[in-house]
Amino acid sequence: MSRARWTPYVLIAPTVLLMAVFVVYPVGSVAYYSLQHYDVTRSWANGFAGLDNFRQMLLHDPLFWQSLGFSARWVVVEVGLQLLLGLGLALIVNETFVGRGLARALVFSPWAVSGVLTTGIWILLYNPSTGVFQQLAAAGIGSPGTSVLGDPATVFPATVVAELWRGVPFFAILLLADLQGIPPDLYEAASVDGATRWQRFRMVTLPHLRDAIVLSTLLRAVWEFNNVDLLYTLTGGGPADQTTTLPLYVARKAVDAHDFGYGSALTTAGFVVLLFFSVLYLRLSKFDRR
Amino acid sequence: MSRATTIAVILACVLGLAGCGGGDADGKVTITFWDNNGGPGRTPVFQHLIAEFERAEPDIHVEYVGIPSSSVQQKYDTAIAGGATPDVGGVTTSYLSDLVGQDALAPLDDRLAGSPLRDKLLPSLVDDVRQAGGDHKLYELPSSANLDVIWYRKDWFAQAGLQPPSTWDELLADAARLTDRSANRYGYTVRGGAGSVFQLLSEAYSYSGQPSFFGADGTSTTAAPGNVDLVRRVAALYGKATPAADVNNGYTQMVAEFTGGSVAMMHHNLGSSGDLLKALGPDKVGAIPLPVGPSGKRTVVPNPTDGFAVFKAGEHQDAAWKFVQFLLSKDSNSYWNQQVGQIPANTDVYADAWLRADQPVEMALGVLRAKDTVLATAPFALPRFSPITKADSEPRYQKVLLGTLSANDFLHGLADELTAAERDWRSHKG
Repeated sequence: MSRARWTPYVLIAPTVLLMAVFVVYPVGSVAYYSLQHYDVTRSWANGFAGLDNFRQMLLHDPLFWQSLGFSARWVVVEVGLQLLLGLGLALIVNETFVGRGLARALVFSPWAVSGVLTTGIWILLYNPSTGVFQQLAAAGIGSPGTSVLGDPATVFPATVVAELWRGVPFFAILLLADLQGIPPDLYEAASVDGATRWQRFRMVTLPHLRDAIVLSTLLRAVWEFNNVDLLYTLTGGGPADQTTTLPLYVARKAVDAHDFGYGSALTTAGFVVLLFFSVLYLRLSKFDRR
Repeated sequence: MSRATTIAVILACVLGLAGCGGGDADGKVTITFWDNNGGPGRTPVFQHLIAEFERAEPDIHVEYVGIPSSSVQQKYDTAIAGGATPDVGGVTTSYLSDLVGQDALAPLDDRLAGSPLRDKLLPSLVDDVRQAGGDHKLYELPSSANLDVIWYRKDWFAQAGLQPPSTWDELLADAARLTDRSANRYGYTVRGGAGSVFQLLSEAYSYSGQPSFFGADGTSTTAAPGNVDLVRRVAALYGKATPAADVNNGYTQMVAEFTGGSVAMMHHNLGSSGDLLKALGPDKVGAIPLPVGPSGKRTVVPNPTDGFAVFKAGEHQDAAWKFVQFLLSKDSNSYWNQQVGQIPANTDVYADAWLRADQPVEMALGVLRAKDTVLATAPFALPRFSPITKADSEPRYQKVLLGTLSANDFLHGLADELTAAERDWRSHKG
């Protein structure tokens, strides 16, 4: 009896232990440091801070709000466009046509390129002396020396396009896999009933893709919110904080300025935002009730 | 043998092996040396010097560890916390006070006093190192000095019939004259990205002639009228006589613009001589000192001084000292600085033929040794100097370049932060 009662706990113990080590401890230590003054360059003032860091962040730090606002804009625009384009590409390469294998390989290939290489490619493309805009200027379109990453008016679309290039394949792969799981007889039945192409898409395809869309947008939103590599290497958050997301701001405060207490408070804020968003999103999409 | 005994024996062997890292059975001593800027430029130079040293001192083996300069301070901090510091470490004055504050370094005053190097090291560098340590003892022996210079395209200046500028007025006028935007050619490049503000301050002090970063009461001189004037004038060049991409430029992008043939002048230091001379050759590239401002006085903000420190926790401090002495001896110091293109600390090297043939180094040495040069040393010992001038100020300088913040407001904000940090630090350092 007692043996049977303990068995399940013994079996989940390794998982619980790993979760504790790799999830609970790091999250807990960030929460702990967010309540401390912990600044390497002002070591004499280190110690318990209460809610000082949060008060500073919420009431006296315009950059916190600015970076949070930019993160929100970045996530909405990126995830929205990636979903639309990814779905479109998945539908195209799901059709039967000559060269479909090659087309699929091309659609997926950006996903196989590492993040740092991706930014390397885009830095070269956007290079004002040798990149694509210089070529265009030589052909009489635009002016020479155009720096899309240096101009506050163009830096947002320029970074969005670079990240789209890398992000669209993720949706395309995931949605294509799901598209192939839709039984063909459903489409046949719909056709027999006289459904148009659009009606077949809306009544058959979309309901089938629902779970995949919910899960992939949620995952991608979290990833985009936490995206550091592309923006850090393309713009460093600049010019003049125009592309500083919350994680980039954390990196600047904690890693560059050695203020780990305040950096932890910012991280905690990001964690709470993501947690709230995830729960809300899953509730709204009724994902957990099915 | 039971399994437990076997494991114990294996463990004992492993621990025994690990334990004899310092003194080998044949009486050889092994010391560890951390290069604070390891990479393709410096590692082979050190490896050559270490081989020479081991030939001269067969009983000492030096283990070289190259560490990237961007993470070296963290590595030292971690090593100190974990009790695993090297015997000898490359250090610069920018984080010397951090190491001294953690009581990690051995003072070298007595050792130097009894060494043949005693009168050989350039006095201004030795003073600089003493000042940077925080308590006026000698914790680092300087190996090289590095000075800010303006690199310029000799060929473009010759084509335009211009002499390289000696005042800021001339430089700004030349920058405009050498710009031909339709040909994607610009007179100057502004560093607007990583590392921008330290370079900007060096320009501002050279223009205003302010002799120090702080007044006696700890008030920052950063917002002095001359400094504001210079920042305003440089920012006015941006986008007109400089590429528009400059607002994001760090070191790599600046060098790429210069070597790629799109800018005529670039402010950096002797550290870039390798990259520039390799790409363009000495016929096309020259170096001039940072120009002077309206006062005509030459004021220079020196770069952090590179050198070597002996760590307190090391078991073989005598061997470590021997190695440091060897690295700073005339031949080694000469070889080292010739390879990396910097100013030797050992004054015996100044008569060497290579130095007199190396225009940038010889010019910089002349500036450093000139009687009327004022050294406005940056407050590297102030712990908040780096966070304030980098993390906080670099994005704000981009706003100045983009025209959304005035030079005056920018420098006054920076000065207020520096003043507060300096006073805070003075009241706590005891």
